[in-house]
Amino acid sequence: MKKHLDTPGIKAIGAVALAFLFAGFWIDDPYIKQIFINVTIWAMMGVAWNVFSGYTGLVSFGHAAFFGLGVYTVVILALEYDVTPWIGMPLGILAGVIAGALIGLPTFRLRGVYFALAMLAYPLTLLYIFEWLGYQEPTIPMKREDSWMFMQFENDFFMLVIGAVLMSVAVWISSRIHASRFGLSLSALKQNELAAEGVGIDTKAWKLRAIMVSGGIAGAAGGFYAIVFLVATPNSAFGMLSSAQAMIVALFGGVSTVWGPVVGSMMLIPLSELFEATIGHYLLGTRGILLGVAIVVMMLYAQDGLFPKLREWLLRGRDEVTKPSSVDAPPAMADQAPRVIGSDVVLKVSGLSKSFGGLKAVSDVSFEVRQGEVLGIIGPNGAGKTTMFNLLNGFIRADAGRVEYGNQNLVGMAPNRVCALGVGRTFQVVRPFPRMSVLHNVVVGAYVRESDDNAAFEAARQALARVGMQAYEDVLAGGLNSLELRLMEIARVLAGQPKLLLLDETLAGLGGEEVEVVLGVISRLASEGQTIVIIEHTMQAMVRLVDRFVVLDHGTVLASGKPEEVTKNPLVVEAYLGKKWMENAQH
Amino acid sequence: MLSIKELHTSYGGLKALDNVTIKIEPGQFVAIVGPNGAGKTTLFKSISGTVSAERGDIQWQGQSIMAMPPAQRPELGIAHVPEGRQMFRELTVLENLEMGAQTAEAKSNWTRNLDQVLGLFPVLGERRNQLAGTLSGGEQQMVAIGRGLMSAPKLLMLDEPSMGLAPKITDMIFERIEEIHKETDIAILLVEQRVAEALASCDYGYVLQSGRIALEGTPEALMKDETVRSVYLGL
Amino acid sequence: MIGAIYGLMCVGLAMIFGLMRVINFAQGEFFMLGMYGTFYLVTWLGIGGLLGPAVAAVIASVAVYALGALIHRGLLSKATGIAVAGTEGDGHYPQLILTLGVSLVVANGALMIFGNMPTVIKSEFSSSAWTLGPYGGDDGMMLFINEARGAAVMMSVLVTLAVYYFISRTTLGKTLRAAADNPEAATYMGIDVQRSHRISFAVGAAITAVAGGLVATYYPFQPYVGLEFVVIMYAGVVLGGLGSIMGAFWGGLIIGVVQQMSTLVLPMQLQNGMIFVLFLAVILFRPQGLFGKNVERA
Repeated sequence: MKKHLDTPGIKAIGAVALAFLFAGFWIDDPYIKQIFINVTIWAMMGVAWNVFSGYTGLVSFGHAAFFGLGVYTVVILALEYDVTPWIGMPLGILAGVIAGALIGLPTFRLRGVYFALAMLAYPLTLLYIFEWLGYQEPTIPMKREDSWMFMQFENDFFMLVIGAVLMSVAVWISSRIHASRFGLSLSALKQNELAAEGVGIDTKAWKLRAIMVSGGIAGAAGGFYAIVFLVATPNSAFGMLSSAQAMIVALFGGVSTVWGPVVGSMMLIPLSELFEATIGHYLLGTRGILLGVAIVVMMLYAQDGLFPKLREWLLRGRDEVTKPSSVDAPPAMADQAPRVIGSDVVLKVSGLSKSFGGLKAVSDVSFEVRQGEVLGIIGPNGAGKTTMFNLLNGFIRADAGRVEYGNQNLVGMAPNRVCALGVGRTFQVVRPFPRMSVLHNVVVGAYVRESDDNAAFEAARQALARVGMQAYEDVLAGGLNSLELRLMEIARVLAGQPKLLLLDETLAGLGGEEVEVVLGVISRLASEGQTIVIIEHTMQAMVRLVDRFVVLDHGTVLASGKPEEVTKNPLVVEAYLGKKWMENAQH
Repeated sequence: MLSIKELHTSYGGLKALDNVTIKIEPGQFVAIVGPNGAGKTTLFKSISGTVSAERGDIQWQGQSIMAMPPAQRPELGIAHVPEGRQMFRELTVLENLEMGAQTAEAKSNWTRNLDQVLGLFPVLGERRNQLAGTLSGGEQQMVAIGRGLMSAPKLLMLDEPSMGLAPKITDMIFERIEEIHKETDIAILLVEQRVAEALASCDYGYVLQSGRIALEGTPEALMKDETVRSVYLGL
Repeated sequence: MIGAIYGLMCVGLAMIFGLMRVINFAQGEFFMLGMYGTFYLVTWLGIGGLLGPAVAAVIASVAVYALGALIHRGLLSKATGIAVAGTEGDGHYPQLILTLGVSLVVANGALMIFGNMPTVIKSEFSSSAWTLGPYGGDDGMMLFINEARGAAVMMSVLVTLAVYYFISRTTLGKTLRAAADNPEAATYMGIDVQRSHRISFAVGAAITAVAGGLVATYYPFQPYVGLEFVVIMYAGVVLGGLGSIMGAFWGGLIIGVVQQMSTLVLPMQLQNGMIFVLFLAVILFRPQGLFGKNVERA
């Protein structure tokens, strides 16, 4: 059941479509048939919007651009060039896809606010252009003969069939995307774009693919709209209401779900048509008010949409996997196999520097990381540790210096490429996909290494085993406690089979016993041969874990060496405890 | 005057403060030291009311303030100088100081308080019309402390004033803090990572580690105690 | 010249968007309400005279202020708030959608109440003009300034100056800026950040409403008119630079001027299109605008 709800296959989609058609078949009233057809159009638009904005989190106010292009392609081709919509529609879809790429490429450079505003402007610009071109009301001419060649059917039912087929295809595409590499990569970048890049996801490429697919589906909806209504106006094609309706249908029904937009459309469209037909005779603007109220209510009380609530009710606790009582405890550190530290240098940092404004955050930092060792980066708060990790990762570009890994200099490389080379990094703020399983959360990290989806899932399973969470595969990530989340985050990075593991404050905020578990896991990874660099504050834990320390203060390296030496080093003591401490200790 | 009793707090799902008990008398200078992540900022946020506690009590002059909304707490006479200084970057130095003086009492003593602040930090007088966002770290810290003083507080809470500042500037800031302690009867609660500077001038100290009070005592006692060192350096 | 009125309208948005980074989709609707409010005040209460519409606009804006405060208290503050205001990312999402919903409800509600006949405020001044000049000798240029528009422009400038004074000199103005600048620090000072945001929002709404009332003296309007102007408003604020209230005024002014000039060159339909193109150009190439501060880029 859960599978049909989350990622419906052809059978489930077909069943719904058939039920839909069955209902439509028995209705004689052409007006109600029209409502059914409208439902399919807006379900498609909702799916289109969802495929892009729902999964990536980049709110698009401008899907009317793709829709309108679909409409006008079909109409103008039919009107001016006598081209049948059977050809016009695919061309409309193509127009949508190309527009997606053209609009996406420049606009993706923008963030949040600016992105939404820019997307707003595109359809409105197109609106004015088409008005200027004189296409105020182009109409597809009625064809008496061979009407089916032009998709003009005597019986509305055939129109409905086409609509249902198109809608089903759109839903199917959405379903393929949802739990696949495509959907998961998008969801990862929605949660935290930096972290996604750090795990090796090429965010730019996926955003582009998403907007192209989205544009195509919207173009199809537009093309179909043209065939149904036979006339296009700039306002109905490119107007705000089209964009808003697509968005609201998806939001109301359920963002980031496959059935959501369909549910949304099935609920809102008939309702709005009903209002239009009754109250709308006396008062204008009912459709808009309904949509507006629907969305305000949704935002305040059920931000996830209607479908998730429906789903909860349908599943009613079935298919819930119970969480194991605890993670597999790693063997005590003393019992673990000794680490083999090679002489190969895995990472060599030389003269790394970075300034922000006038502030030198990292200043001429140099150190080496040897194969199989655990290196701890420590220092008082504000010493530049996280900045340094960001430099290693590629999130920030160093002003000077080299980071040699293998025979490459990592400075200036994009984060996802750094990850592809084998440098994995964890993040402090771990936000999982709460409604997906642990396995699905972890598999995102495997994509950088495995191009085959099955192999990726296998890698994810192995990673979970390495942290002791293999029993957690199907548990929903939303129910994990902080220890489990930390381990899952480590598993996610391990799924990419990194040569070098960068751990960023993995112990922060954990309690005593939890710290022991994480220490044991990290230590075991090291004894398996993993090379690890870790930033941490909890000194008492670090001292037992690491082979060597590098101490940073005010962006420079104060000291490096074995824990016993470093913690007695007067410079280090002074950095942590203050100059006067040392003076006092002399007495 | 300020009494924190057995406070338990969680922040972002993690336990931040565990059974913390601290007392401050009027005019007293209390320092709280501890490594990063020990819960020091969470403590301040609890006093200011932006983080709510699970258990325990915070009392001001004998009355519990747990239910008081954050915006009203400065009325009590508590000034919070936040971690990282938190300037109003688009406002001038003078305007920042103005924002510190929200209470009626602070407004009526505006001129006198301003003189006092400018006396402590003369460079602010030179830069009074400069945008706070363009100041150096040390100058921003001075504005932050000045802002706190402008509210004519009974308790001045300073959250890691040395963070991100060069050692010489840090020394200067600590000297000024000592001056405030000597020249006025404002109680000071100082939270710091750098132990020695903090302990040097205070009347009483607490060592916070992983949300718990590991140690407390007079500065002399703490400076001699090896536990402090192990809290920071692990060995 | 219209630019000045555009400038005022942008100042209103700047209070909300520029200062607090709240995307208010319904700003166009506040504009529209200002138009209708002014219209009814002028025709029913007969506030006449040259400055009549201008005064009526100000009065109408008070009602819009109240509405704005209500919307913020009842709706927006639930989706935004201290933790979210001024931050990038998630906080925007519900805000955006919520204000879109409000915009739909208000615009269509107005459609219900006022009908969709284009209306305009006519006065005996709409058609008369002051003449200035001739410049450059007897055969030189004569400037005709339409009296109604002239009064509107003067009012815009006046209100903008008043806003500037309010924001930069008064304690309340500074408090509003502080609350938007750093809500956390503001709370530590004892500033009620929710209330400050609400006031900023309501003032922003009211100012744009005044602009609406002034535009109503020469531009025929109907309930959906907000949409036409909302992009101009955002274009002006972005052009002037986020965070700068006065920058927004200049941004609006420039757009107004560009629009006027484009009537000489471009056919009518493309004029509005020009604005969008300009907007896109600014966003894509110089998001920090003319006077703005640092901007978040990908």
